[in-house]
Amino acid sequence: MPLLSVRNLRTRFATDRGVVRAVNGVSFDLEEGEILGLVGESGSGKSVTALSIMRLVPEPPGKVTADSMSLEGTELLKLSEAEVREFRGSRMAMIFQDPMRSLNPVLTIGRQIVEVLHRHQKLEGAAARRRAIELLETVGIPMAEKRLAAYPHQFSGGMRQRVMIAIALSCNPRLLIADEATTALDVTIQAQIIDLVKRLTRDRGTSVIWISHDLGVVAGLCDKVNVMYAGNVVESGPIRELFHRPSHGYTLGLMGSTPRVDGTPMRRLTPIEGVPPNLIDPIKLCPFLPRCRVSVPACQVQPPERRDFGAGHWAACLADLTPGRAP
Amino acid sequence: MAVPNRISSPRFAGSIVLAARQFPRHRAAMIGLVCLVLICLISALAPYVAPYDPIQIKLSAKLKPPSFEHWMGTDHFGRDVLSRLLWGGRTSLGVGLLVVGFAFVLGVPLGLISGYFGGKVDNLIMRLVDALLTFPPLLLAVALVGLLGPDIQNVMLALGIVQAPVLARMVRGSTLAVREDLYVMAARALGAGPGRIVLSHLLRNVMSPIVVQLTIVFAAAVVAEASLSFLGFGTQPPNPSWGRDMSEARRFLGDAPWMFMAPTGAIMLCVLSINFMGDGLRDALDPRAWRTRRTVAAGERR
Amino acid sequence: MWYYLGRRLIQVPLVLIVVSLMTFLITRATPGDPVQIMLGMQTSPEAAAAMRAEFNLDRPLPVQYGLWIAKVATGDLGRSIRLNDTVTSLLAERFPVSLQLALAAMVFALVVSIPLGVIAALRRNSWIDYLCTGYTVVGFAVPNFGLALVLIYVFSIKLDWLPITGIGSSEAAAAGFWSYIKPFMIPAIALGTLQTAMLTRLLRSSMIDVLSQDYMRTARAKGLLPGTIVVVHALKNAMIPFITMVAVQFGYMIGIQVTIEYIFAVPGMGSAVLNAVVNRDFPVIQGFTLVISAFFLFANITADMLYALLDPRIRY
Repeated sequence: MPLLSVRNLRTRFATDRGVVRAVNGVSFDLEEGEILGLVGESGSGKSVTALSIMRLVPEPPGKVTADSMSLEGTELLKLSEAEVREFRGSRMAMIFQDPMRSLNPVLTIGRQIVEVLHRHQKLEGAAARRRAIELLETVGIPMAEKRLAAYPHQFSGGMRQRVMIAIALSCNPRLLIADEATTALDVTIQAQIIDLVKRLTRDRGTSVIWISHDLGVVAGLCDKVNVMYAGNVVESGPIRELFHRPSHGYTLGLMGSTPRVDGTPMRRLTPIEGVPPNLIDPIKLCPFLPRCRVSVPACQVQPPERRDFGAGHWAACLADLTPGRAP
Repeated sequence: MAVPNRISSPRFAGSIVLAARQFPRHRAAMIGLVCLVLICLISALAPYVAPYDPIQIKLSAKLKPPSFEHWMGTDHFGRDVLSRLLWGGRTSLGVGLLVVGFAFVLGVPLGLISGYFGGKVDNLIMRLVDALLTFPPLLLAVALVGLLGPDIQNVMLALGIVQAPVLARMVRGSTLAVREDLYVMAARALGAGPGRIVLSHLLRNVMSPIVVQLTIVFAAAVVAEASLSFLGFGTQPPNPSWGRDMSEARRFLGDAPWMFMAPTGAIMLCVLSINFMGDGLRDALDPRAWRTRRTVAAGERR
Repeated sequence: MWYYLGRRLIQVPLVLIVVSLMTFLITRATPGDPVQIMLGMQTSPEAAAAMRAEFNLDRPLPVQYGLWIAKVATGDLGRSIRLNDTVTSLLAERFPVSLQLALAAMVFALVVSIPLGVIAALRRNSWIDYLCTGYTVVGFAVPNFGLALVLIYVFSIKLDWLPITGIGSSEAAAAGFWSYIKPFMIPAIALGTLQTAMLTRLLRSSMIDVLSQDYMRTARAKGLLPGTIVVVHALKNAMIPFITMVAVQFGYMIGIQVTIEYIFAVPGMGSAVLNAVVNRDFPVIQGFTLVISAFFLFANITADMLYALLDPRIRY
């Protein structure tokens, strides 16, 4: 049984201008110990998907529905607010993009770690402190004992994110969601953090949903990738499959616009023209159609169908994109 | 290099028009404005509108509750409370408006000078302003009026002096901010006298927060005049004044509550209207003020 | 941080000197002879002259100022012309009473503003939020002496729950805590309502700002209890500007109290200055205004220091 099973997740927001369909029927499974990448541009719905799973979407103006969304067999949407609070931080945890803004500036680091331990594992006093020190050491923060009394602004960006990871993993969650966790960091620090996450989660068998718009990061870290566009998953598959055989117009576009260290030097990057669609109007045909370079006549007439390529790789695209056909 | 022969700066007139269009959308502000205008009008026309002579004593009619003949009852001298209210409004609102003018005339130039010239002048003026602001305002007013005499002019002088420092500080702050742009521009715009640029350009930029502050000054002045009269330092009996009437009503609180309710309500109504209007002004003016300043720098590059 | 504190403290005497100069000039440059007021019109010229000499009133103005400032520097604020006492001992009598009144008003302000501000921020656009907005709007508009009259009418005359005299009296103190507190209640509410309005509005907008920050989302993601989230995570941040405003307002209050002291016959600083102005009692006017201003300055400096202490990001 998969650790996390999502079927037909829909998240809508009521706004002055209409109902925004931020997540429009997303389904996927996440196995134990698997690292799933969620890739897409801003507005694709990847963050909202994560927040929906954590039930952090404010219910007015948002509304989260799904046929099923279960973590280790428990239907998350059927839980009461009090019950969800037991899950958050202990069974499922999340780290966010900007660690400076995500840590409370007036509380010490020690306090922010200990409170989770106290809340979910009933650790107190000296025992909690010891555990906090252990955690800081695990994520590679030197002089951990002294650091407990420090404040977030006294740390560098990379260190802060390590602290966030320590907090997230403190109660051994089964699921860790990382929302653009390295986007705000320097490239070298990025690599360190990614290695850290990889190591820690492999050791503990934690499943990870790694959200990013950066394909390079995803390639180095994830087992499986879901490519999202306009609130839908448009392609999904094991990482090698996806990179060798991108099978959706959008995925193709993403790869073409990503600089590659091993690619041809002086190759021109081809950006994806146009802007993401307005999520208020219902979309009948393929949402990517206006920006797609590889569309076929059929795309103008019928909505995309899901095509399976085996080994868990599928894409919702009508065009036949045989390998070698780069834009 | 193109030298602009006319420095394009945000037109104050333009921002007034924009603000004027924005203002009516703020419902509370409109109500406030209408209320205020009505009150001012009625008070100004008090000599013609008031049913009775406000200082005419008629002991046979004293302490009568509100009735058809006396809509707000009578006080302990048999005087019509409504008439005293209307005439009192003349004093309070009149003083309020004059204080606004006086604080403006006193505070704005000081702030401009302080911000523009900087250095020792700035230091001196700011020390003075600090000292004035440290002085508890009501006590300062009491001291000034108490020592100079309870004339209307002294009241206005005192209240104007009390309110001017905040304006001066505000103007100085805006001036400092705008001065940087100006020195760059003045260096380039050979020919246009810096003095004129300063005055017209500065004033335009600084006007928006000043206008909002002036409404605050107005409300504060009305209340301060009432406080002074209440304490016995402002309008002297038998002249009608809201504060004075409230003080006299103290002895008759239980027997004739209308005596204190009327002026209290009047002051509250005035301050509420002014505050709502000020809120509307602030919303209408401020966003524009921030936007127009940046067009100055952009303009000279064309 | 100490460097900054030192710099601020140095400014205090400078401002106070300007304040004292202003007070001096205002009192001396205006008509009215305290000696005449004190002794009356019928007194002999010799007695009047003697009194003038005693208070240095026959010396040239700059000399008078110099003498006075010199004495102030040593802690001697002079003698009251009108009352048979030193200014310092008058201060010692009056200041505690004013302080208690200010304290009572502040307690009222805190008791109302903290819950109201927090709940209004948590339940925006609910009936509590509208109540809060309405309350602050009215609180800003009603003058404190007007409110005092209304409260007296309702609570003292009509309902007869609270007395209106006897603040700080020793009989009340002897009769027990509750009877000492009672006379403070109406004046405290009248005095404190404006502060309450300001503080409520400040706390509400602070909280709203804090609640929209990213770290609140992290706190929720940790599964913390709602109470913890509001009090430990949100309030601690929102309180910083709040507490500093409390300090500033407290310093300000002593100056504002005049009308309330007048209505309720409170033997405090404000009424002392009032009487001194009427009687042209220069030493009292000068001494008291100096002390009130100094108090306000220190309150402001305290507010800045509090800000630095409470916010770990600020270290001078």
